[in-house]
Amino acid sequence: MTRILTIEDDAVTAREIVAELSSHGLDVDWVDNGREGLERAVSGNYDLITLDRMLPELDGLAIVTTLRTMGVATPILMISALSDVDERVRGLRAGGDDYLTKPFATDEMAARVEVLLRRQNNVTAQATTLRVADLELNLISHEASRDGQLLTLLPTEYKLLEFLMRNTGQILSRMMIFEEVWGYHFDPGTNLIDVHIGRLRKKIDPPGNVPLIRTVRGSGYVIAEPV
Amino acid sequence: MSLPNPSKGWRSSSSRLLALYSSLFVIWSGILMGVMYYEVSAYLDNLAKHSLMQRQHLFSRFSGEQLVDALAVSMTFDIRGIDAYGLFDARQRYLSGALRYIPDGLPLDGRIHTLRDCDASDDSGEQTLPADSCDAVATPTLDGRWLVLVRDNGSLFAVTRIILHALFWGVTLTIVPGIVGWYLLRRRPLRRIRAIQASAEAIVAGDLSRRLPLSNRRDELDMLAAIVNAMLERIERLMNEVKGVCDNIAHDLRTPLTRLRAQLYRMQQQAGEGSPQAMQLDLVLAEADTLMARFRGLLRISELEDRQRRSGFVQLDPVPLLQELHEFYLPLAEDDGLVFQLHLPTSLPPLNGDRALLFEAVANLLSNSIKFTPPGGAVILRGVNDGGHTRIEVLDSGPGIPEAEREAVFQRFYRAEAGNQKSGFGLGLSIVAAIVSLHGFTLEVGSSELGGARLVLDCRESLIPQA
Repeated sequence: MTRILTIEDDAVTAREIVAELSSHGLDVDWVDNGREGLERAVSGNYDLITLDRMLPELDGLAIVTTLRTMGVATPILMISALSDVDERVRGLRAGGDDYLTKPFATDEMAARVEVLLRRQNNVTAQATTLRVADLELNLISHEASRDGQLLTLLPTEYKLLEFLMRNTGQILSRMMIFEEVWGYHFDPGTNLIDVHIGRLRKKIDPPGNVPLIRTVRGSGYVIAEPV
Repeated sequence: MSLPNPSKGWRSSSSRLLALYSSLFVIWSGILMGVMYYEVSAYLDNLAKHSLMQRQHLFSRFSGEQLVDALAVSMTFDIRGIDAYGLFDARQRYLSGALRYIPDGLPLDGRIHTLRDCDASDDSGEQTLPADSCDAVATPTLDGRWLVLVRDNGSLFAVTRIILHALFWGVTLTIVPGIVGWYLLRRRPLRRIRAIQASAEAIVAGDLSRRLPLSNRRDELDMLAAIVNAMLERIERLMNEVKGVCDNIAHDLRTPLTRLRAQLYRMQQQAGEGSPQAMQLDLVLAEADTLMARFRGLLRISELEDRQRRSGFVQLDPVPLLQELHEFYLPLAEDDGLVFQLHLPTSLPPLNGDRALLFEAVANLLSNSIKFTPPGGAVILRGVNDGGHTRIEVLDSGPGIPEAEREAVFQRFYRAEAGNQKSGFGLGLSIVAAIVSLHGFTLEVGSSELGGARLVLDCRESLIPQA
């Protein structure tokens, strides 16, 4: 079973994180202070750590730095009340793998955790083709085809599809899509990402085919094998 | 924002004072010299009349050859050019003396008269007679002849010259050192005012920790600067308090908002799909998300306003940035039934800035234009090379922004009246304003040739005095 360590000093937030991650079938341990968190992170065999940036006793940034210098490579999702751009850069540079600012939505948090876990497992598998049902994406020639029919994609649409397909079956929030595909970290307004997904959908899921891209209400999008 | 330039339309108070003193001195010396002139000339005039009366009295006792001799003797003592006489027979024909004929307009009444011009009576060629006005008297002698005596009445000419000389030197000696002093006196306060202006501009630009410079002379300027500094001290403290309160509120709200959203989400997950409860919770969740988005927007602005550092800035090419923005917003514009064009020259001058922030700023402008332009309209994103620096313009055919509202649109939560029915946080343009001011760029709102608003981002760094 996949094991997660949550280091978070606010009990209610922690309880929600634990509940949300558990509902995704993950085994979550919770620690409410930095010192104990670091000990558990080093000794325990965790697949991922969610780490609050500001903690009593030992600060989150120091924990990441210490873990990385000790050679612990466990993926870390940093959760911070400090939303400053510089703060994000500092957190990622110290060794954090993703950065989420408070206030956050727990489903967003869970989606990020899933993506990080998947990335971890995919490291060895250097696939050249991604496949979802009869949709194929060639990562070398940058060509997509559905049911043998070649699809013409714009560069952005290709990047978008690649991100979705690399995380098949995984809900991706609009914010995650914007960050990954466009590389910016601000709120562009919800409907912009929707419009881009809509464009892609028209090409991927033309009428008559079983739709592969699904909207998850409130949360985001997922590409998956039709049920 | 800039302060009025003190070197234009500005007069130093010390130079004004000096000018006032100088002119008062000139006026006063003028009056003094005038009075002196009047007194001296009246005195000399009196003296001339007396001397004339004495001579008249003296000669009235002689007659015949005795008179001629006496006159000839007296002439050797007379000052040439001041005193003169003429002796004429009963029919007023010339007998002897420097005067060849009786001056015109001199009544033959034995009384002293002041003549304007005695010159005409002299035909000897040399200056033996008074040149200017004179006192003259024509008196009958004991033997029935006419004796005419003339005297320059106080050498007015010389006195005038002396007085004018004195006036000239006095005024010169007042005005020349006055001008030099004015120049020197005005330089130092001007220099100090410039220093004060530089500090004040830094404060206006946002550096509230700056203070006006004080010299150790403890004069009026220092007094004023000290008063302003005390005021700034208080303002800074208040601002910090307000900011501290806001930051604390913001910080304290993060956790409850996270909890609220998390719990609502769990309830929604637990409610059966499609049940009325789940649908209601969907709406509540959407509201919570809106709340969080607004909250993040506010935090973002204060975070941008806090950023003083510009070390993350790089030289970047605006062309790919604008192309990326166009590509990003094109689908949205097309879905809204708008024509969205990108107008670019072959190349644009590089600009100094943070790529992500500039993307965010222009994205907000585009987002706004697209939101407020009705279907069928047009939006243009344009890059212009304006004499060596880049100008980014967003034009639309929407309702535009009325002149009166152009300043206000950059305030938080402001939304144009005409656009009320559209949703929008009203924070977008405040974020733009914060990013623009962080870069030292300027943003102007105008009307576009498409009929709507025209937002111009001038990427020339304005001269913000750097601390």
